[in-house]
Amino acid sequence: MSKLGQVVESVENYNKFVLDQVKRARTDQKFGRDLLGRWNDTKAKIPVTRTPTGLLLPRLALPEIDEPGEIARFIFGEGLPGEFPYLNAAYPEMYLEPIREIESFDKNGDKTGKNLAQPEEPTRLFSGLMLAEDTNERFHYLTRHQRTHRLSTAFDGPTLYGLDSDADGVFGKIGEGGVAIDTVEDMVRLYDGFDLGSPNFSASMTISGPAPMIMAMYIAAAKRRFGPKVVPRLRGTVQADIFKEVQAQNETIFPIEPSLRFLTDMVEFTTREMPRWYPISISGYHIGEAGSTPVQQAAYTLSNGFAYAEMFAARGIPVDQFGPRLSFFLDCGLDAEYIALARVSRRIWAIGMRDVFGAGTRAQLFKLHTQTSGRSLIAAEFKNNLTRTAAELILSYMNATNSCHSNSADEPFTTPSEEWIRLAAHGQAILLEESGIFKHTMNMLSGSPGMKAVERAVEAAILDEFREIERLGGVLAAVEERYQRSQIQNAAHRYEQQIYDSTRPIIGLNKYRDGDEDAPEVKLVRTPRTKQQLQVDRLQKFKKKNADKAKRALDELATVAERGQNVFPALLEAAEVCSLGQITGSLQEVVGRFRPMV
Amino acid sequence: MPSPIRILTAVPICDGHDSAINTINLEFIRHGIEVIYLGYHRSVGDIVRAAIQEDVRAIGISSYNGGHIEFFAAVVDLLRKKGADDIKVFGGGGGTITHDDAARMRRKGVDEIFFAGTSLDDMVKFVHQRYGKPRTRRPRPRSFDQELAHNLSKIEEAYGIGSRKRRTSNAQRPTQNRQKHRTSKVIGFTGPGGAGKTTLIDELALRFLHRNPKGRIAILSHDPSVVGEGALLGDRATMINSQDDRVFMRSMATRGQAGGLSPATHDCLASLAQSNFDYVIIETVGTGQEAMPFQKNGIVDSTVLVMNPDYGSRLQLQKIVMLDLADIVVVNKSDLQRARTAHTEIEQRLEQNHRDQQLVDTVAKRHRDSGVDRLFELISK
Repeated sequence: MSKLGQVVESVENYNKFVLDQVKRARTDQKFGRDLLGRWNDTKAKIPVTRTPTGLLLPRLALPEIDEPGEIARFIFGEGLPGEFPYLNAAYPEMYLEPIREIESFDKNGDKTGKNLAQPEEPTRLFSGLMLAEDTNERFHYLTRHQRTHRLSTAFDGPTLYGLDSDADGVFGKIGEGGVAIDTVEDMVRLYDGFDLGSPNFSASMTISGPAPMIMAMYIAAAKRRFGPKVVPRLRGTVQADIFKEVQAQNETIFPIEPSLRFLTDMVEFTTREMPRWYPISISGYHIGEAGSTPVQQAAYTLSNGFAYAEMFAARGIPVDQFGPRLSFFLDCGLDAEYIALARVSRRIWAIGMRDVFGAGTRAQLFKLHTQTSGRSLIAAEFKNNLTRTAAELILSYMNATNSCHSNSADEPFTTPSEEWIRLAAHGQAILLEESGIFKHTMNMLSGSPGMKAVERAVEAAILDEFREIERLGGVLAAVEERYQRSQIQNAAHRYEQQIYDSTRPIIGLNKYRDGDEDAPEVKLVRTPRTKQQLQVDRLQKFKKKNADKAKRALDELATVAERGQNVFPALLEAAEVCSLGQITGSLQEVVGRFRPMV
Repeated sequence: MPSPIRILTAVPICDGHDSAINTINLEFIRHGIEVIYLGYHRSVGDIVRAAIQEDVRAIGISSYNGGHIEFFAAVVDLLRKKGADDIKVFGGGGGTITHDDAARMRRKGVDEIFFAGTSLDDMVKFVHQRYGKPRTRRPRPRSFDQELAHNLSKIEEAYGIGSRKRRTSNAQRPTQNRQKHRTSKVIGFTGPGGAGKTTLIDELALRFLHRNPKGRIAILSHDPSVVGEGALLGDRATMINSQDDRVFMRSMATRGQAGGLSPATHDCLASLAQSNFDYVIIETVGTGQEAMPFQKNGIVDSTVLVMNPDYGSRLQLQKIVMLDLADIVVVNKSDLQRARTAHTEIEQRLEQNHRDQQLVDTVAKRHRDSGVDRLFELISK
């Protein structure tokens, strides 16, 4: 049985354990009494907060139960926020307003003296356009009101495919859909003016195929600006999710096995040298966007995650070293499953990591970034997209996501323009800061009978998917058989069919459509030719300047790759003097190119 | 009945959005169109080369990653430069291509851009109406490949769907005395579907291109026609190394003929064999146990049977006719657990024949696989 099969068993066993605890709480008087005592203690310790209208609310809402069996079902089956199995949240407080001395009370209404540090805002906006300096400007614009600077970077097509901007036929793609990065010099420009080593800064880079090379460039850029001592202080995330590329997004540049090997090389390095870096973001978002059902999205994301864990453990990296450095990324759309998709995922991950991989507390946490669904956005009557995104945001925060990106309404047409980005960001602020839904009380919307019904149905369906993948020989075998890919394509086809025959209502498109075609006046963001030419010129100058050094670095890289050693140290050297395309080419010589699955 | 319309579809370089084109391809083939699918992340050069070699009526491009004005224009320009502007260009990109963009693209020579919300029916109708009429006056070929491609089209069009052979006077007839004119070595690949024939041929092509810096090869690849309808000819999407100026590739649909080849295969193969390639490789569709596709051709010099280790019980091996006939038998996917047993059983089966048949284990999906190296040496002998 593969680890995934063991995960299925561990969840089944855990569910049995919960039922046993419920029964025991009802039959074993001492056990029941202890539970009730603990429950009452917990409730008594919950601080009280006062809303702007003067209402006193507990900072954590718990079910109104006083029967030991039900208490056991909650404590073991769901867990308090921040407690195993983390159904409600990975951390205890999430989006709560910090307790202000002046307005916080203990249970008797007396003031408490506790003063908490300001948490990070969960808002993280994805951005990348034109050249590095243009994206840099956008980053400064986006973060001008924020205490913490959490940048999320989108790359253009050539970069995502590991190509240089002067590669044959890519000119028109330079800076389109994301920022063009060819060299360490671009990377320096990209984050100019931000303090990369600061605890208030983190950079997220959405790139997978060439992730180890881009990561090496980021480190090289940080060293150029702040010296070598900055490396262990760097905070951020690089996506580096090879499985989902092969399953859904098609941005893979090496065959699967060497891709996974280079990824593991990077993880081995960062988990050792960069304790605050997340070297992989296990991503269901693109699986969802490619058309999967919500259950497929969660099932493939989790199973990919367990497969990575198995791989990293096999390399000899201790689970408590890499476990806390894994993070997840899910899509949130409008289907009913999204009411609890991330909640269930968090629970399955924690149980599997603890009981199959022997992970300690920090390595059990399913740390989640959510993005609202891009696929749910429609060109027809596009302003409706504001409402769609707002509903998806509520669902995302109901699932206690750790960070969130809200899409701009103009995304069906273009890289978002500043006007619509501002509205998207404000949408989050309105929910978290203006409204009282999330800032006063944890569990404000958790635990409704409907939510529990969704949880049970979703968990059972995810475990069924795991069993199917296990039957096919595990994640890698299933990927090579195109199992996930075919399932996703099938679901995508069904979704389109439902829109086409109107069994899936899309307002403004197949329902309540006004006669007039709405012709949006959105300002398109396009990269001017002069900028594209500038990028090519800069790259060629860089290549010329470093020609000799680059050749030596590439030879060394190829040798290391050929020998099967960890390539990351050689990548770090190469990133100083080589372009992305040069590095890709050199590695492809050794391991080959990815052969698309059709 | 006239020949089906042949079109090429692709997604531009640095773009992996293949969901729309997959759906459109299936719709096209359901409506009698033969689609040569080149895959995603494809350069202008790859697209135009393939379109000329396949001699399609039009190229359909699905672009979702920006840069479409440049990209479509570059395809049109390169076609023009190569003297192939009777191959037309159309495409779409959901909401990413605006009406203004489309107007500019049309001015640059693109036939049509479909916007979000265009029904699949409308696209099918467009292709039939715009590209359905026979091409009467062809431009004079500007290159060897173009002339060869035109010639293959003539041969293929001379055979109607489902009918027996029609007159082929315009097409080059295979010469009876073929040895005189033959310059190429012709190798036939066959075997059950999913055994990895396409990947294997592509890996051999890569080795050939490395070994012979000036040599050229031709690949004649087959995919089945959907009963009474079109066909999805998708081998090019897998054959990444064969998208090269030194490889001439042609994809053919079986057009109702059983046995793994098309009614026009024999004549097309003869034409290729006389065209100065170092090698001509012919690949059948996935075949059944009784198939012996190269028997009546007589042009094929050596035959390779590619097997999957999962052929069922040992008894099944007795029924596979090609095991008697093939010069080389390949057990591909030899990294699978079953492969050792398969090797032993097939070895015994071949010994019964008392012929000098070679048995090679390969893992075609693996870069620089030593089994594929060995196969390449055997073929090059």
